[in-house]
Amino acid sequence: MSLVEITFLILSVIAIGSALMTVLSKNPIHSAIYLLICFSSIAGHYLLLNAQFLFIVHIIVYSGAIMVLFLTTLMLLNLNEETEQHKPAMARLGALVAAIILGLVLVAAVSKTATLMPMNNNTVDIGSIKALGKVLMDEYFYPFEFISILLLSAMVGVVLLTKKEKTTVA
Amino acid sequence: MKTLTYTSLLGIFCMLAEILNLRKFIIPIALVALCVIGGLTYCDLNVHFEPFFSDMLRVDNFSTSFSLLLIVIAILLIALSYDFYTAQKDKISDYISIIIFTLCGALALVSFSNMTMFFIGLEVMSISFYILAGTNKREVRSNEAAMKYFLMGSFASGILLMGITLIYGASGSFNLATIAVYASGQNPDITFYIGIILVLVALLFKVSAVPFHFWAPDVYEGSPMLITALMATLGKVASFAAFYKLFAVCFVDAGSHFKLVIAIVVALTILVGNLSAIRQDSFKRMLAFSGVTNAGFMLFAILLPNENGGSALFFYAVAYALSSIAAFAIAIAVSKFSGSEKFDAFKGLAHKHPFSAILLTFAMISIAGIPPFAGFFAKYFILSSAIKGGYFWLAVFAIINSVVAFYYYFKVIIMMFSKPENEDSFSPNFVYITVASIAVLITIIAGFAPGVFFIH
Repeated sequence: MSLVEITFLILSVIAIGSALMTVLSKNPIHSAIYLLICFSSIAGHYLLLNAQFLFIVHIIVYSGAIMVLFLTTLMLLNLNEETEQHKPAMARLGALVAAIILGLVLVAAVSKTATLMPMNNNTVDIGSIKALGKVLMDEYFYPFEFISILLLSAMVGVVLLTKKEKTTVA
Repeated sequence: MKTLTYTSLLGIFCMLAEILNLRKFIIPIALVALCVIGGLTYCDLNVHFEPFFSDMLRVDNFSTSFSLLLIVIAILLIALSYDFYTAQKDKISDYISIIIFTLCGALALVSFSNMTMFFIGLEVMSISFYILAGTNKREVRSNEAAMKYFLMGSFASGILLMGITLIYGASGSFNLATIAVYASGQNPDITFYIGIILVLVALLFKVSAVPFHFWAPDVYEGSPMLITALMATLGKVASFAAFYKLFAVCFVDAGSHFKLVIAIVVALTILVGNLSAIRQDSFKRMLAFSGVTNAGFMLFAILLPNENGGSALFFYAVAYALSSIAAFAIAIAVSKFSGSEKFDAFKGLAHKHPFSAILLTFAMISIAGIPPFAGFFAKYFILSSAIKGGYFWLAVFAIINSVVAFYYYFKVIIMMFSKPENEDSFSPNFVYITVASIAVLITIIAGFAPGVFFIH
């Protein structure tokens, strides 16, 4: 086994284990921390695939922004173990059936996927920031600039919706 | 290309104009600039352009004609906002810039030739609409409209993205020309068809066709009336242009498997829109359902992609959009005066202010499809191509429905010409009358000389 494969296995175990713990742990704060570990190990997978840009974005957006959002929401809602409601039997049965059907779909999908595409070693540079920047500023220049209109519109909208009504000072 | 770029710059200018203390001049500047951009766009007619920016945008007569229509709609509606936002002078720069950003998204939707531009254009337009729908902050129904539209629109965008992903996975490209070659080639992959279905669902949602129309009446009713007019005209026209570009030009061979589905959607859209419109007592809600019915008529162009399909769709869009703007302009004036959007508010309008009553009557007659107005010829072109294309049953069904539609369009007219309950004098701002007159004038010109509005 090469070093990459060993790293892959370690990261996978961490990712699956922490994902399971996210669902299984009773304390919502612990769940959030496990989710953070899960995100980080997935970011490690991106790095293994040489997708540097995705790695950075994943860390910034998921481990950074989304986790902060989750934790703030948890703090605001003040969720505790005691407030968790006991699920009725029908809901549990429904969840079980849904899980079994989803599992069947998963098994079918995996067994039908005949050949996994071999990794193309010629395009090692495909996920690097340099390659991505070149594509963005060359081929996708116009959409890249046009997205700024989308962001501007959203920002102006936020200002518009939060502006005070009827300011007395003219 | 330059239309979209200049419009974006104009939007940014309007946003910054507040800093420069130009608040009073924003609307005149925006109107003049849009007229100039419209003139520049008009010069692009019948000129052949190479694809722009590694084939992100293509300018042809189809996109130029639709761009012109969208710019005219934007000019008329921004002119209306001159009086509509008098009470909110401090926010005028935000309002106008977001309306112009909406126009940018709509312009991208009529001239894209790459799936990325399509998606970004649709999002620019939709996100601006979500914001504008909620601008009446103190009104609970406006909040409801914004929230509903945002949640459902986000889901539709998600479905659309999934569809684009599957199409990319099958064809290996975001480029419409490449996808079109793949679609007409040998045995496209099954994921390609699933992708087309998902894109179809998302677009049917955006144009409020029937199984996906439930958001439209609530959103149209809750939003401020000017924004309702913007959604019902600009949003719908741009979405239909994109719909036509994708389904009648790009997926044309692969899309032919979905003919029956689209035919059933057309029938349901016309029927449900009509039956719901009959029961309304609010003018705005009635116009929302009439928009659903008209979406059904415009879907005929997607059902029958032929040489004249683009022209028929464009003509219908001109007739529908301008008649609606005229109707909305008068309705805004009336509801501002009486504080009500119900049919009763129009009672005795012909006695109080005959000219606006006549304008609204013309607008209603045009939407209903009575000659000599554009609405009649729009329906005629669409239905005659449907009969030629072998959808005789659907054309008959549509004709029966448009006769039924006379009932609710004439309800307003009868209200206006009945005796007024009180002797309040009604004097609308000249802006409303001017805008409505221009819109009605264009529908009359289009009715007498339909050839002018054909895409060659």
